Order: sequence, then C-alpha cells, then structure tokens
Amino acid sequence: MARIVVDPITRIEGHLRIEAVVENGVITDAFSSGTMVRGIEKILLGRDPRDAWAFTERVCGVCTTVHALASVRTVEDALGISVPKNAELIRNLMFCAQYVQDHVVHFYHLHALDWVDIVQVLSADPKETSKIARSISRWPKSSPKYFADVQKRIKTFVDSGQLGIFANGYWGHPAYKLPPEVNLLAVAHYLEALEWQKEVVKIHAILGGKNPHPNYLVGGVPLSINTEEVNALNTERLNHINKLIGDAIVFVEQVYLPDLLAVAGFYKDWASIGGGLSNYLAYGDLPTASYNQPESFKLPRGAILDRNLSEVHEVNGRDQNEIREYITHSWYEYEGGNNKSLHPWEGETKFNFTGPNPPFEHLNVEEKYSWLKTPRWKDHAMEVGPLARMLVAYASGRTEVQDVVNDALGRLNVPVAALFSTLGRTAARGLETQLVAHWMKEFYDDLIANIKSGNTSTFNDSKWDPDTWPETAEGVGMTEAPRGALAHWIRIKDKKIENYQLVVPSTWNASPRDAKNQRSAYEQSLIGTPVNNEDQPLEIIRTIHSFDPCIACAVHLYDPDGKHIHQVQFNQRGL
Amino acid sequence: MGDEGVGVRVAQYLFSQKLPEGVTCLDGGTGGFHLLEHLQEADTVFLIDAINDGQHPGTITVLTPRYSKDYPATLTAHDIGLKDLIDSLYLLGKVPNIRLFAVSIKLQSEPVMELSAEMDKAVPRIADQILKETLQRI
Repeated sequence: MARIVVDPITRIEGHLRIEAVVENGVITDAFSSGTMVRGIEKILLGRDPRDAWAFTERVCGVCTTVHALASVRTVEDALGISVPKNAELIRNLMFCAQYVQDHVVHFYHLHALDWVDIVQVLSADPKETSKIARSISRWPKSSPKYFADVQKRIKTFVDSGQLGIFANGYWGHPAYKLPPEVNLLAVAHYLEALEWQKEVVKIHAILGGKNPHPNYLVGGVPLSINTEEVNALNTERLNHINKLIGDAIVFVEQVYLPDLLAVAGFYKDWASIGGGLSNYLAYGDLPTASYNQPESFKLPRGAILDRNLSEVHEVNGRDQNEIREYITHSWYEYEGGNNKSLHPWEGETKFNFTGPNPPFEHLNVEEKYSWLKTPRWKDHAMEVGPLARMLVAYASGRTEVQDVVNDALGRLNVPVAALFSTLGRTAARGLETQLVAHWMKEFYDDLIANIKSGNTSTFNDSKWDPDTWPETAEGVGMTEAPRGALAHWIRIKDKKIENYQLVVPSTWNASPRDAKNQRSAYEQSLIGTPVNNEDQPLEIIRTIHSFDPCIACAVHLYDPDGKHIHQVQFNQRGL
Repeated sequence: MGDEGVGVRVAQYLFSQKLPEGVTCLDGGTGGFHLLEHLQEADTVFLIDAINDGQHPGTITVLTPRYSKDYPATLTAHDIGLKDLIDSLYLLGKVPNIRLFAVSIKLQSEPVMELSAEMDKAVPRIADQILKETLQRI
C-alpha cells in the first residue's frame, strides 16, 4: 500500500493537494486539501454592501466576473431590487464570454496535456495530421506546411527544456494513447487557442469598462446605451461584440469540439473511470426573463440524486435546511462545535489551523486537513460544474441540451451512463461551450431588438440610496461559475455588511469529508482509479483536472529561489 | 492582503502620478490569462509585488527572472498565474523584458484590506524609487 501525494495538482502552480492511497495499482482512498486560506469574508465585514462586488471579484484569477455577479445579485436579493432587461442581457453576455474563454482555456491549456503527449509531437507526420484535420473540420489552418511549422516551434521549446509546461509533464507515460499526428493537431490548436482567447474577453472590456476585473453595479450595469455617443455602448462597439461572438462560435465549432471528440475517441476507457459521487447540483443561470424567475434560465436550477435523470429536485438558497457547511475536517471552528453545520447566513469564519508546517510528509486526515469548508445540500455530497449543469438541464427536459448531448454520445457510440465519468465531465464542458456560444448570439440579438424599440435603461436606482433600505436584510445571490455552482450570502444591518459568506464551486468539489465522513466530489471520484506508475500519477491528474480545479484565494507572496534570477537590492532600510 | 497588497497600492499611487511618455500602469489584480495581451504589447514589463524573504519590510529587490521556472515556487495564489503567462509568452514568440520589483513585507496573520501604517507611509517612496529605476532601464 502506498500513499501518493500530488501537490500542487494544477499544471504549474496552485494550492490544492491530493493524497491518494494505492493498493495493487488501484486507488482505494483519497484526501483533498486546500492549502491556502481565503479571508475575504473577514475583509467584507462592516463595509458598504454596494462595494462588496469589487472585493469579491478579485478572489480568483479565472472566475473573476462571476464573483462580481453573485455579489450584486446577493445585495439585490436582500434589498428587493430587480434590474432592467438590458442589464440582465448585458450580464448574460459577459457571463457567456467568460464561459467560452474559460472553457476553451481549460481544455487546451489546463487539461489537454493530460491526454496529449507533447513530446510525441516531434515524431508526427505533418501530412497525416493535415489529412486528419481536414477530415474532422473545415477550419482553414490545416495545411501540411502549417503543421510542419508548428512541429518545428515545439522542437525548439522541448530542446531548450526551459518552459514549465513542457518540463512538468509525464511524457512517455503508457496511459497516453493518441497517435503522434493527433498530438500534433492538438498542440497546434493549443497555440491557436492562446491567441484566440485574448479576443473573446474583449467583450468584458467593452461591456465592463475594463479588463481584467470589469465593473459591476448593484441595480444594473455601469454602462449607458446610446448608439450615437462615443463613450457609450454605441453602434461601433455593438458591431465589435457581434463580430467577436461570431468568431467565438466558429472557433468552438471548428476547433474545440472536433478536437474534443477526436481525442475522446481514443480514451473511451475513461468513460467508466472517475464518476465519483452520484449527486449533482446546479444553481443555474442565464435568465431569459429575469433572475427572479429561475424557470426562465437557459441553464436550469435543480439537483439530481443517485444519478436518477427522471427526477429533478428543487433547490432553494434561502431555505436554511438545504445548503449548509461543515468544518469537521477544515481548519476553522464553530461556536456550536466541530460536528455542526451552518447555513451561510449564520456562517462563521474563525480560523483554527492545526495542520503541520511544511515540509511534512502527510496530512493528518483523521483530524482537520483543509482550508476549505465542506458544503452539503440536504446533507448530501454534491458534484457541481459543467457535468452537473448539463445533467440537470438534460433531466429537466431541455431539448437544446438533450440534442447536443445525445448527438455527442451517438458520435462516440457510448451510452448515457458514460456521462458519469472523467470523460463525461470533460465532454460536458465542451458541449456546454457550444450551447453558450450560440446563446450569447441570442442574447446579443435580444439586446439589439430592445435598443431598437427605444429601451436603453440599464440601471434601477430606486434602492440605491441606503436611506430606502430596511434596518436589516438578508439575501442570496446564485450563479454558475464556469467550474460550478457559486453563491454569496449576505446579512445587512444598519446599512453595513453584518455577515458575508461565499460558497464557491471548488468548495463543493474539493472539500474534505463532512461530520458523517462522507467524501466530497474529488475524493470520491478517485476511488477505483487505476494508477500505472506511482511515481507518475497521471491518472489522478486527469480526473482532478476534469473538474477544472481552482482554489480561490486572496493571498499573494514570493519566496525567493530559482536559477536565472539576477538580483539587485536597494532601500535596505525601507521603512 | 494587508501588506501583501503593497503592489496594488503602489500601482494606485502611480495612477495619480504623471508617468513618462510610453509608460503605462496597470493594476493586473488576479487577471490570469486576461493579462496576456497587456504583457505582449509591452517592450518591458515591470512587475511590482510583495515578497516574504525575511528582509527588513520595505526593502525592494529587483529580480530579472527569465523563465517561469526561475520564479519562486509560491508565486501566486491563483491557479492560472504569472508563470503560465510567462510560458505562454514564449510559446507565442513575443517576450517582453521582465523585471520584478519585490517589496519585502512582514506577514500578518489576519486578513485585512489596509496596509500597515508603516507600509502605507512608505508607498510614495517605493513608487518613486521604482519610477526612477524604470526610467533608467527603458
């Protein structure tokens, strides 16, 4: 029996640690630990609720705008504010742009190299790659010369040995199954995606005033619509957005999806590995009417238990019996004791670090072992993320979603049950991207129609003035970050934040065990996973990366080491 | 945050100053891949961030790391961070000169937004020194 440690689990850096117990080449137990503390809840106490979005937006480098969205909705929910139709549409457009960018980046830059052996690229025949590329897509960059050039570039990087992404892989591992030519195709698109992702996020700069960290506003969006005005959302800017949306649809349909299906075809064994939990939770998002009408969401709200796709349970963030957080195995303490759970309105953020100081060999998993709390829905451990959203939509009878899911299952020739797996999770993300890219165009068309009808309102100021607020109020703002269900809870007293709690997607998925010793999604998904070589646990990384891990945090530090560093010092007595 | 936010505070201070021609200041926050284009567009990038290196708080160390692996192990709290960006710049073939101004801080145990009184007082001087250094190197 061996205990494998992967820390960090993300490709180059990060703050998630996995310890897995391997017996006879198969994982029999696993522990997931968030190794950095997030203290944003404490920072928000006593502040103006209308400012909270700007703080929460910086919690994470990849989910940035969705935290701002959850935050403004929380305050709007508490104060009973509904936002104008245009504001809802503009928020949807920013949401969609974030998804398309984030999912593409996840596939190519954070996950593809778990399946694509970059060193194999060097032995590929570019002519053959070209043939494959042309057989699966109309994407124009597909000539033998193009792929030969990419191959040359990669050779330079591999030879130099300097780039982290090439140095940190398990190249040559027997679990890599793609022919060299498909590896080359994927790596060429890795590079193209890197250039392309810069474009689609320009939608954030246009609609949010700046990027990174675009602006939000309680009661609407901080943007005026005037087709003639230079500084407003004008015709030129709208046309630019339309073009970016069109380009995004083409990239997703001609590059991302064909690659996803081509790669998946070689890894069908992963359709029965990594399923983990059998419960799925989605808060849903993309209102077509308003946020207060969840039934109008493109991505519906609901919960699935025991993989039963014929029943979707209602989810209510305000019901204090539904979403609750445990700290039994987390480095916090509750006034009511270690085995209690709390609804986020009653949530407490009191640190109690009892873990080992580095360097150490293993965490003491009998006690507390993570900085993440453990959320539960009606005491069930739930998986969140693209797979949960697609399953809830599928089970809710959304034909748009059923069609793309069934089509992909048909092309791969696998049953619906294949969705409950590592491969299913990765495929669900791609299918969702296709849907979201098209929905982005629908929302754009709705916005244009609204503007043409003379409706340019973007802000509801009726409750902006704190004098209009009640003495106390409580709210919840729910959304879906690309990596899963995200919500903020607020209690307002005397116009200030009295309590603020975030329950983020990676808390649902990456948390430690609860008081009943139930595993969360990451830990459960690793049980039964084969490990070919304990020194190169590629299989663990595949499954954990399929969740798109992101341990949100607000701490930032340098520790000096490294080889090529040239140091100069001044200001020796700085203060 | 606390004194770990010194980079943001120095950037905010620089926003209020008249910067030399050709120099722009960006509060990159936790921007991840969203920052790629900003970095690509520059000839030289001066990064300002906090460092916990045991030196006297307020000490500035100028580092010129070349590759992502030269950067400290715990470079950032965010799962797509500067190291991924540096690698990406190489892959795309346009790499700016990068200088990292690391400002030594003392770690605080409780998360707060504000800088300590001493660090807050030192912000203008840190900014001025960085600006002076910047002018010499562009």
